[in-house]
Amino acid sequence: MARVGVFVCFCGANIADYVDVPQVVEEVKRIKEVKFATEYKYMCSDPGQGMIRDAIVQYKLTSIVVAACSPRMHEKTFRKALSDAGMNPYLLEVANIREHSSWVHQKNKKAATDKAMDLCRMAVAKSIANEQLHEISVPVTKRALVIGGGIAGIQAALDIADARIPVVLVERSPSIGGKMAQLDETFPTLDCAQCILTPKMVDVASHPYIELIPYSEVIELQGFVGNYKVKIRKKASYVNFKTCTGCGACWQKCPVKVPNEYNMGIDKRKAIYTPFPQAVPNKPVIDAEHCTMLLKGKCGICAKVCDKGSIDYTMQDEIIEREIGAVVVATGYDMWDPKPYEEYGVGRFKDIITSLEFERMVSANGPTNGLPLRPSDGKVPKNVVFIKCVGSRDEAKGIEYCSKICCMYTTKHTILLHHKVHGSHAYVFYMDIRAAGKGYEEFVKKAQVDTGTTYLRGRVSKIYKKGDKLMVRGEDAQIGQVVEVEADLVVLATAVSAPKDNPDLARLLGISYDKYGYLSEAHPKLRPVETAKAGIFLAGCTQAPKDIPETVSQASACAAKVCGLFAGDTMKKDPMISTINNEYCSGCQNCLNVCPYGAIVTDDVPVGHGSKDLRTVAKINEGVCQGCGSCVAICRSMAINLAGFTDPQIINEIVSI
Amino acid sequence: MITLGSQGKNTFLEDVNVKSGANVLECYQCGKCVSTCPVSQYMDFPPREIMQMIKLGLRNECYMANSHWFCLTCSACSGRCPREIDIPAVMEAVRHLAIDQNYVNDSKKVKEIRKFHEIFLDMIKRYGRNYELRMMAEFNIRTRNLFKDMHLAPKALLKGKIPLGVKPLKSAKAIKRMFAIAEKLEKNK
Repeated sequence: MARVGVFVCFCGANIADYVDVPQVVEEVKRIKEVKFATEYKYMCSDPGQGMIRDAIVQYKLTSIVVAACSPRMHEKTFRKALSDAGMNPYLLEVANIREHSSWVHQKNKKAATDKAMDLCRMAVAKSIANEQLHEISVPVTKRALVIGGGIAGIQAALDIADARIPVVLVERSPSIGGKMAQLDETFPTLDCAQCILTPKMVDVASHPYIELIPYSEVIELQGFVGNYKVKIRKKASYVNFKTCTGCGACWQKCPVKVPNEYNMGIDKRKAIYTPFPQAVPNKPVIDAEHCTMLLKGKCGICAKVCDKGSIDYTMQDEIIEREIGAVVVATGYDMWDPKPYEEYGVGRFKDIITSLEFERMVSANGPTNGLPLRPSDGKVPKNVVFIKCVGSRDEAKGIEYCSKICCMYTTKHTILLHHKVHGSHAYVFYMDIRAAGKGYEEFVKKAQVDTGTTYLRGRVSKIYKKGDKLMVRGEDAQIGQVVEVEADLVVLATAVSAPKDNPDLARLLGISYDKYGYLSEAHPKLRPVETAKAGIFLAGCTQAPKDIPETVSQASACAAKVCGLFAGDTMKKDPMISTINNEYCSGCQNCLNVCPYGAIVTDDVPVGHGSKDLRTVAKINEGVCQGCGSCVAICRSMAINLAGFTDPQIINEIVSI
Repeated sequence: MITLGSQGKNTFLEDVNVKSGANVLECYQCGKCVSTCPVSQYMDFPPREIMQMIKLGLRNECYMANSHWFCLTCSACSGRCPREIDIPAVMEAVRHLAIDQNYVNDSKKVKEIRKFHEIFLDMIKRYGRNYELRMMAEFNIRTRNLFKDMHLAPKALLKGKIPLGVKPLKSAKAIKRMFAIAEKLEKNK
């Protein structure tokens, strides 16, 4: 026979003003299982908790109901009170009579009281069927996987490794560095991007706790928090990195020329190449799509000139497996392709370039030795028009959101243009100047006042050719007139978009992504680095567009989360997870499809006792299950129960009102 | 339609900045001046737009506007400007540049305003101070509107707002000399 104790809280005036607390106590006392019921001003206070502890001992209670605020507030507090009195903490039920009654029914005291009584009756009925539960302990593999070697991945890897936790850093391209390695200077301080990034890249390569796996991709992730197994496909580089010294003889002699991705295709690279001089690792790879030796079996010059014999045309892709405990996803972003802007003549006019192309041109190690040049005739432009929000904030042709960084990088570009080309003039067509950040507004002022950049408020409507100039037409809303700017060069501040492979990666990792393809955080404000799947964290633009300082902050936050996860040898986990009754499970596998965490797998069990024939049933992975209850709802044979919310508990609740 | 980028350097902006001592590039087009200005609703272009036109180098459009003539130089705008731009000085600079280059809005209103300024200066030159009655009379005669605001005269006279005579300042001679020097400077320019 259950012996229930009920403790009703006044919460000062929060509950007592709108709910007749003594009446609630009288009402619950009439339930025969309730052996003790009382009220108190603040149940969460020390004396309040003391009342619970004392009553448990004095009345030999078997379950406790606290009628107070939301369990999100004080469930842990009261569970601890139960533990302190030697009782299993999961025998507690919280009836939320504050958020669910007093606060929302302030105009009708009687209704609020009636509802509070109902909630208490339900909680008492549920608690009668409560069972003792115990925290689940999960072992932890203390090694982290970082996917993506841009500034986000680099920072996360370094911070985790500095805490002496081994890190596996997987980068898809031949070198780490990401987009930041392509930048010239960074806003708002105009630090040289390479100068601040490359030391970090070198640190990654030489760090004893970091295993850098470049030119590779994650292809499979299995397991659960603290116990993941990852499969990594190491693409064939056709170069033996162990013997290669990075001397460069091979790519100097290679006869095949291919558009250089690092320089946005403005110049050419060879079929065997290192992406840029400061690449880490500084070892070349062969581009199998263009190498004539690999395509036609002819050439082989690189093998001839390599005196270390490092070239191996027979190399195959390799699958590497690693056991890891946590994942940081830092896959960055793509630049949006401005092709839909036909009215701008994108693709028709050569002298329209994107911001990243401009960035490569003004970069000291870029294809034009740091000078912006017109692609059409190679002349230095005088009048340059920068168009912001190309793709951003454009529901018709682009993306709804603001890409956040374009205002600032365009401001930077106008200043760089001023530095590089004397007598040049920059015009910026903009809709708003969004300069929220430390030193950002001041930076914009610097461009407007010191540099003399002309800001014109309006979206460009069309661009047409007049002689060798481009006429850029837009409104200047400041004076309410249409203006046309005679431009030598037009730079489009194209939007930041999610990496196109993000949805595939999200499916592979078992995490969710939004309508744009950005990976979703667990809570937009309070859990911005975690995903809904335990042990997987997000850093940088893969979650949403952001600038370098924010990316680095988020990456370091990821590192803190990973270190916290790995702080103990085992992890504690709430026992509210699903359990499957194999007797009832028909093996329909509907639950597999609805589980958002990938926590359900199939298992084969004997058809009958001692039978050799097998049948398929569902199996819950305790480490992964988050207790959401989706599988419980979908199970048509009622084979699944959620601990703490079992069918008897729920039915008791329903019957009680 | 305004075409930009073909004229080369924005000399108008430089002229205005040098003459006014302000930096028009500081203006970020918030419009606080416009809502502060007591006469902005009578202007062709309110002060914010004038600032943008200077930035774009629209010299002629700016000269032909009546805004700088309507400006009372009350300095309410610059008092509230978040970028602390001396907007009346900018207006004054545009006024001077427009006169220098003989490029002035010839609407009736602007003509009247210019006449008013001339008569006022004439009064100062004569008496070292303003002589209201004579000033009004001259203004009404020269603008060929004899009875303008005449109905206000009796009330103003009774209240002593329009003294019937004028007592020249002791330093009137010094002021005359100042005018002479200024005129000489103007000629030698």
